[in-house]
Amino acid sequence: MPVRFLRNASELADVSWETPLPVQVANAKPVPADTLLVATTTVTTDANRDLLGSTSTELPTLDGCGQYRKLVWFYFRAGADATNYRVLARATDMSGAPLSTGWQEIVPATPLPGNGVANSWGRIEIPSTGDGYYDQYRIEVQRTAGSNNYSLTSKIVGVR
Amino acid sequence: MSAERITRREMLKRLIVAPVGAAALATLPVREGSAAVLQPYYEPYFVAVLWEGRTRCDSLWRSLKGDVVAILPTVQGTTPYDRLYWTGYALGSAPVNVNMRVWARAVDHNGVPLGNGWRAIGQATIQTPPQRWFRVEIPEGHWDEYRIEVRSATPRLVYSRVIASQGYWKE
Repeated sequence: MPVRFLRNASELADVSWETPLPVQVANAKPVPADTLLVATTTVTTDANRDLLGSTSTELPTLDGCGQYRKLVWFYFRAGADATNYRVLARATDMSGAPLSTGWQEIVPATPLPGNGVANSWGRIEIPSTGDGYYDQYRIEVQRTAGSNNYSLTSKIVGVR
Repeated sequence: MSAERITRREMLKRLIVAPVGAAALATLPVREGSAAVLQPYYEPYFVAVLWEGRTRCDSLWRSLKGDVVAILPTVQGTTPYDRLYWTGYALGSAPVNVNMRVWARAVDHNGVPLGNGWRAIGQATIQTPPQRWFRVEIPEGHWDEYRIEVRSATPRLVYSRVIASQGYWKE
């Protein structure tokens, strides 16, 4: 006796290779990707300026990131002048306070891809290898040559 | 939780083990050109069909949707997906020689692109004997929009689908 199921509102179908039973994956959830930040930064020669424009070195650019395995930083840079970026990270206690002052430098000052090309797009994974799961990140950009400040528009997505 | 609804014709297509296409791709990685090899990805991953249809390729760079308007995306809302797969089949008795390129961009909270233009993800030439499957893996995930373009000196029809996979965790 064939097994039948309601394939749609009005059609009854026998189970076969051509018409298998509809299934859902059980006991698993898709990994969400959350947009954590969209910001436009004026890139200057200031040291320690982060994507939010702050030069206060104790302020994080992103907080509450402990659940994210990786951050993906997308950006559009309007200028071509040589620029470095640096990524700092740290963990917090149960109250959200950093375990201590300062940061762990997970990416030292590195040329931002797209140097020499105005109006270009870029994509950087943080960290580039392994897993993140840090609670706070600080992402700094600094123009290291040229004479023109320019706009850097960023979007950061957290991937669990 | 996502479930996929497919037609009987599509199910038959998946069960057919098609000949392997010899796609020569310059920068994008490619896997065996068989629809059947997609099957394993349906089990452990969450897969969405982003686009499926027919593209009339000619000498112009066209999106898979057929347009030649460079600012229009082929697929949107792709932030959650860490990988896209484009699987296709070109009709006709002549050998397949189709150029393709993939662009991507990010958008802000309002859906407006962060800047002008696109980021070039990669380009390739798909060269196969007639009536073979081909498959292209688009590795840079989590962009919000992609534009997949094709062109062919010899006009031909390409039937294809773009799917995207998402990682998962066990509850």
